[in-house]
Amino acid sequence: MGDRDSPDYKILVVDDEPDLERLVRQRMRRHIRGGKYGFEFAGNGVEALQVLAEKQDIDIVLSDINMPKMDGLTLLQQIPEVNADIRSVIVSAYGDMENIRTAMNRGAFDFVTKPIDFTDLEVTIERTLRHLDEWRAALASRDKLVAIQNELDVATKIQQSILPDTFPRLDGCEVYGCMHAARNVGGDFFDVINLDGGRVGLAVADVSDKGVPAALFMMSSRTLLKGAAIGVEEPSTVLREVNDLLNETNEAAMFVTVFYGVYDPATRVLTYSNGGHNPPLVVHSDGTSEELELTGGLALGAIPGFEYGQANVRLNPGDLVVFFTDGVTEAINMSSEEFGLESLRGLFRDGRTPGAREAAEAILQAVQDFAGEAPQFDDLTCMTLRVADE
Amino acid sequence: MNVQVENHEGVLVARVEGRVDSSNSQDFERQLQGAIGDEVKAVVMDLGQLAYISSAGLRVVLLIAKTLGQRNVSISLCALSDPVQSVFEISGFNRIIQIYDTQADALAAAG
Repeated sequence: MGDRDSPDYKILVVDDEPDLERLVRQRMRRHIRGGKYGFEFAGNGVEALQVLAEKQDIDIVLSDINMPKMDGLTLLQQIPEVNADIRSVIVSAYGDMENIRTAMNRGAFDFVTKPIDFTDLEVTIERTLRHLDEWRAALASRDKLVAIQNELDVATKIQQSILPDTFPRLDGCEVYGCMHAARNVGGDFFDVINLDGGRVGLAVADVSDKGVPAALFMMSSRTLLKGAAIGVEEPSTVLREVNDLLNETNEAAMFVTVFYGVYDPATRVLTYSNGGHNPPLVVHSDGTSEELELTGGLALGAIPGFEYGQANVRLNPGDLVVFFTDGVTEAINMSSEEFGLESLRGLFRDGRTPGAREAAEAILQAVQDFAGEAPQFDDLTCMTLRVADE
Repeated sequence: MNVQVENHEGVLVARVEGRVDSSNSQDFERQLQGAIGDEVKAVVMDLGQLAYISSAGLRVVLLIAKTLGQRNVSISLCALSDPVQSVFEISGFNRIIQIYDTQADALAAAG
């Protein structure tokens, strides 16, 4: 029962709540009429598998977890056998880490929480579709390119497809992030996670290696981090959970350095835990700056059972926090000199910190100007938090 | 990047020179794995001449440490320059791999 003959993308919504179909059709009517999305609906896992068998052009399955006959977690396991190209997004109760974790382990691409925020759902669907497009394009070109070259392209595209490209509007602060990928490297990611009470989770991370295995490691790191961030209060507990999960299967001794902080605009307090990542820089509006103290952490994935430390810092109006990866400070120019932390600090010494976006873009531009024609070896990632002026 | 290996009465000393980054980390891993034989009692990596190590290089050190750990063979590092020491401190690897100031200290502990 497609809404048009051939919408661009087809989404199968699986939920035992009968009102959801009406709600989805109403809230997504613009995309349905425009021919972008087509929807199918099923009331449980068994019905969903029937739909998937009949309609082979489904791109995304959006599934609830608790349903009669066959639940969403069981459905997740069955989907790859029907069509390995489908991406699944799980709808779960807020804070239901147990099920989210199981879903992620069973290959869910992402999740949204109940009650469904349709703006958030649309962003999630768009990101999933973008990932799917990149994935398909990469696979299609696989046959045409030398195997190793292609593998690295796949890695880069997987990386690009998971980064946020819209940023939440928050009271009392601005957040922005951007990345310039080195050619053929899939290593960095950042994430901005909406939390309850107007707080925001900020993560920046760097995976130890490159290529498809590292890109897949990055994907699971990002997904597990997002899941833990929503389910767990303390940043140090978030890192401990993700570290333990990453250690469950990690034969290649890959690891990811992660800085994860929760910022509360109401109190201007940033609570953070540093998992082996280079410390972010706090720039004050008088041009002075300092690095955030380490918290006795360790890169995630190295060993299980590690207890992470935590610290907090109260920011001042006008402060700018720069979260970055070592690709920024270790970028080299034609004379093999490093850009370095001092150059980064120097960008803001004039005082009067710029806005979040302006600052992040200025940093990446400065690094690129410095490097000139020298090849870029590492990803450049920069995320900024700018506290509003008084 | 260059790795030179000596055997001090069953303790393998690997001297690493130059830069280790993602362009040569696989070569770094091959050289170290190739040098570590079955009879090795302990491994000491002398990083005195190591100018730079990226996270891809750290992964190799972690991989070797894990492999050796499964065989109950100890591994330690020594003589780190300030920048390299700082990489191990920030990543937290100094908490899971023993680091000594000098090769003599490392050998004494490994003996």
